[in-house]
Amino acid sequence: MTVEVVNDRKKAQLLWSHTEGYRGAFSMAILAMAVAYVFMFGAPLLAAFSIDAIRAGDDFSPDPRVMQIAQFFSGNAAPGMMAYLILAAAGTILLTAIAGGFLYLRGRYIAFASEGIVRRLRDRLFDHIEHLPSTFHDTADTGDMVQRCTSDMETIRVFLSGQVVEISRAFLMLIVVLPILFHLDSRMAWLSLVTMPLLFVAAIFFFQRVKKLFETVDEAEAELTTVIQENLTGIRVVRAFARQEFEIEKFADKNKAFRDHNNRLIGIMGIYYGFSDIVCLGQIGLILIVGGLWVMDASLTVGTLFAFLTYEGMIIWPIRHMGRVLTDSGKAIVSMGRLAEILSEPIESQNEIAPENRLIGQITFEDVSFAYEKPQVLKNVSFTVEPGETLALLGPPGSGKSTIAQLLLRLYDYHDGSIRLDDHELSTLNRKYVRSQISIVLQEPFLYSNTIAGNLKVGRLDASFEEIRQAAIDACIFDSIESFPRGFDSQVGERGVTLSGGQRQRIALARALLKAPPILILDDALSAVDTDTESQILDALKNRRHHQTTIIIAHRLSTVMHADKILMLHDGEIIQRGNHESLSRAKGVYQRLCAIQGAIQDQIEHDIAEVRDHE
Amino acid sequence: MSDVYFDDENFDDGFNEDSFNSGMDLHLWRKLFSYALHYRREVIILAICAFLTAIAEIAFPLITKGVIDTVAADGLDADLSKYAALYGAFTLLLGLSVGGFIWFGGKIRTHVAHDIRMDGFCNLQRLSFSYYDFRPVGWLMARMTSDCERLSNILAWGMLDLVWGCTMMFGIAIAMLFMDLTLGLIVLSVLPVLAWISMKFQHRILSSARIVRKTNSRITGTYNESIMGVQTSKAFVKEAENLKKFGGLTDQMHSASVINLVQAALYLPLVLTLGSVAIGLALVFGGLEVVWGAITAGTLVAFLTYARHFFEPIEQLAHWFAEMQMAQASAERIMSLVVAESEIKDSEDVIEAMKQDKTANAAIDGHADQISQISFKDVSFSYDVGDPVLKNINLDIRQGETLAIVGSTGGGKSTLVSLLCRFYEPTTGAISIDGVDYRKRSLHWLQSNLGVVLQSSHIFGGSIIDNIRYGNLNATNEDIFEASKRAGAHAFIEALEDGYQTSVGEGGSKLSAGQKQLISFARAILANPKIMIMDEATSSVDTETEQQIQKGMDALLSGRIALVIAHRLSTIRNADRILVIENGEITEQGSHEELMVIQGRYYKLYTQQSLSEFVDEENYWRT
Repeated sequence: MTVEVVNDRKKAQLLWSHTEGYRGAFSMAILAMAVAYVFMFGAPLLAAFSIDAIRAGDDFSPDPRVMQIAQFFSGNAAPGMMAYLILAAAGTILLTAIAGGFLYLRGRYIAFASEGIVRRLRDRLFDHIEHLPSTFHDTADTGDMVQRCTSDMETIRVFLSGQVVEISRAFLMLIVVLPILFHLDSRMAWLSLVTMPLLFVAAIFFFQRVKKLFETVDEAEAELTTVIQENLTGIRVVRAFARQEFEIEKFADKNKAFRDHNNRLIGIMGIYYGFSDIVCLGQIGLILIVGGLWVMDASLTVGTLFAFLTYEGMIIWPIRHMGRVLTDSGKAIVSMGRLAEILSEPIESQNEIAPENRLIGQITFEDVSFAYEKPQVLKNVSFTVEPGETLALLGPPGSGKSTIAQLLLRLYDYHDGSIRLDDHELSTLNRKYVRSQISIVLQEPFLYSNTIAGNLKVGRLDASFEEIRQAAIDACIFDSIESFPRGFDSQVGERGVTLSGGQRQRIALARALLKAPPILILDDALSAVDTDTESQILDALKNRRHHQTTIIIAHRLSTVMHADKILMLHDGEIIQRGNHESLSRAKGVYQRLCAIQGAIQDQIEHDIAEVRDHE
Repeated sequence: MSDVYFDDENFDDGFNEDSFNSGMDLHLWRKLFSYALHYRREVIILAICAFLTAIAEIAFPLITKGVIDTVAADGLDADLSKYAALYGAFTLLLGLSVGGFIWFGGKIRTHVAHDIRMDGFCNLQRLSFSYYDFRPVGWLMARMTSDCERLSNILAWGMLDLVWGCTMMFGIAIAMLFMDLTLGLIVLSVLPVLAWISMKFQHRILSSARIVRKTNSRITGTYNESIMGVQTSKAFVKEAENLKKFGGLTDQMHSASVINLVQAALYLPLVLTLGSVAIGLALVFGGLEVVWGAITAGTLVAFLTYARHFFEPIEQLAHWFAEMQMAQASAERIMSLVVAESEIKDSEDVIEAMKQDKTANAAIDGHADQISQISFKDVSFSYDVGDPVLKNINLDIRQGETLAIVGSTGGGKSTLVSLLCRFYEPTTGAISIDGVDYRKRSLHWLQSNLGVVLQSSHIFGGSIIDNIRYGNLNATNEDIFEASKRAGAHAFIEALEDGYQTSVGEGGSKLSAGQKQLISFARAILANPKIMIMDEATSSVDTETEQQIQKGMDALLSGRIALVIAHRLSTIRNADRILVIENGEITEQGSHEELMVIQGRYYKLYTQQSLSEFVDEENYWRT
């Protein structure tokens, strides 16, 4: 995977660009939160005024109806005060309930926005991955990709739904509460802010520092995971050499290292939290004692002191927490960068023309050369296959047989020479159109975790059961499928039936036959099928042969000898061409292959003869 | 990294999460808690710290009350220094106890995770292969890593918050009741309502959280599948359809997550509002009492503060309670791994015998330290489920004999070898070594006399030399060079830039299949085992290399009991005896010549395979 150097600022901008369409909701959430805090911070004021009113012994005569209620509760003792208190209490509850309502709104907006953004990002990522070219997938590590799609996505989700709120909360609280504090008493307001900058800076400083330690812990965990993984995948080797003790020792080391690093990290966190608690409480203590002194000289009321104590308790803890939140937010930026690496990879071209009609099935290669990276895999390859013909490709591993198939499917783009389907230059045809005209069966086919019927229907979604059945029969897999307890409805994969290599190949073949395209490619697709079954399959294919052009890549002579054309490849070059008859007569590799078959026959006969002589 | 994800929802491992819906399995948690009790001192200190933290938090409103009351009563003459000192002392106490609380909680968490993992790993080394058959590596990995962390998290932080939260709520209740019984009771009257609301909500939040987790697992699985099967999806032009399916999943995820978040967004304001009711009650009735002179203004302030603090731990407690319920399945799974009993282990008698003093030539279990004959007597074997894989096998193998095993895939070849290695034990019948049933011998003794080379050889991360040394940890470098020369590995290793010190990458990813195979050969040769087993060992080595190692192999196999599962003609033909195994039975047995004469299954296999074998060989392609 090419790693682009994207700086933090750019990544942050990227994240921002993905919030498009949901920014309004985020703004509404923050607005709702601001309103909520205005109401929430009103509540302590009511209590503060009440305390002062009580202490001053104010009398109060509100609406007679309230007085009646008050008298009912207080039994005629100080009904005015009672009424005041009831109103204050009702006000407190009302303010909190309204604040609660707005907090709920905030939650709704945030949920809507963050989940919406993440859903869109997930879909985009999925779509993008599916359209990335094969050159990308060849080098990408599946585990790492899935990790990015899940863990990194989760980090972003937590950031959007949690940390964005957390950060704006601390700032909003300050913005809302500061005017109230300064309005109440400016001396006290200044006093209550004394340690805040210190706390804030210390928190950020501290968490930037422990970031390193976090990384150490992550590395230790990765090492531990590797040891477990290697041990479990190699358990047979471990047992066979009776190395259990050795393995346990190796594991114990890593296990201990992980524990101790983790422990150190938590220890340092303990020191930080202990220390910052002391600072926070010291701040509150300062307000209490200094405020107490000011109450003594009557420059401050008890109620105001109460209000300050309550407010301080409300805002100081989120600020202490800011360092942590900001550090964690940094992780979201990193995660976004990791997703951006995938998203910025260019996808396959999509805009070529797609003809309406079905291809007839003529294939022409003209001077095609191709290289994945350095060494040339195909060198000046030219051949033509007429519609309905069968072409066999023979050659040792790495000679370029599969490359021809992959080029035909436009999984890779050729640059030298010309490939034509019917009369269209392949590179001018839409990839999806090309692929819809070709069926390929691979040596190690991929089956989806679906039912067998579901996997077959991948060939053609609207296939009837009768068609599915016929395809399965032609691919010689029908009996096997029927023998499964749930037949065509058997699940493939972990929870379902275990398929042998040959069965997988035949299911893939049936799937390809169901698609019934003008061109069929079998890329060593019957290697795990025994010879008897193979000849049955080839017979079935023969009956279909005039419907489609077929390319067979194989190793067995028996597979290829009936083909109309046979190409021998070696090191990317065609070294022989013809059919079985012409090639077996011409001097060359093919003849030697036939000779080897004869030689084996001879040797076997010799062996048998020898044994008979002994008898 | 494994390519398949085995999280709880994608792999049916017989644990059904839904069955854990109803209540908690206390027995299980007690068992887990016993891990924490290994650290009794830390647990006690943790509890004390949590207790002190709660006490300090309860003390602060009381000090505030003191300050206000003193100021109110004494006016300008008031002396606040006592309260300042008290406040300072409690601040220090709180700071220390919070620090200690995190410190010791962290220690317990990391140590418990360490211990569970250790026990799990040790047990995995003991468990027989039948355990592994139904549990893929990915599944075991998930237990050993994420489940462990999750549980230890609950055990440490969950317990910590539980102690802290309960102490705090309990302490506040006591303090209020103590200051003013009636007022206290009035404030606490909201408690039943709170409990009822919490229960209702947590139940809902929990079930929506479960849906979120399940959907998330499916999304992970779908990503995985889309990447693994990208070529097939392209070839069948399934991109749009796949996206549509995936879009259905993300829609489901979206609505489940939103429901979950909205539920939580509703719960919190409700608790807050309920808290304000408590504050309001305190204000009305407390205020009245102040007017009556029953309590001081300071007490009222303390009451108001308490009423607010009382609701703070609720959120935490609710969170942990939910987490414990959700983690119950994890707990069950990992405990099952830790306590699983191996089906194959040394019997009591063997363990007893291993403690006795031995004579000079004896193995660790007291029997002779040699293997001159292995006999299978009426051996049958079947896995837990299904038909027998081997039926009535009778077989004698003598020292110095090389036995080749051929037959179709799934016929029972590998099972026969696994039985011999005692990776499995016969279901019926017996296997004996020099006349002694091998179940009466030490497992470790037998297996340390084995040399095994498998089809896909497993290479550990690290250097080449370490990988070869795995065969004999006491080998000198010279021994290692000698072994790799005999295996035919020396030349290619020397040609590498760092030679024997070359790092092979995770799982040997930097080496070709053939190179890995040669290294595993050298490893087996170094072990100098009495029994040598080669399971399709030469299938990924090219012909030239194979000819190289063939000479070494002859030397390697001679003088030992050798079992070779192979399809290379040369290997099979040179064997002293050939077994044909089909459908779990020995159908043919004899030398190459003898079997060719019969013109049975072996004859057919031999003639069929020989052609494809020749075709694969590069040499025949050279013009």
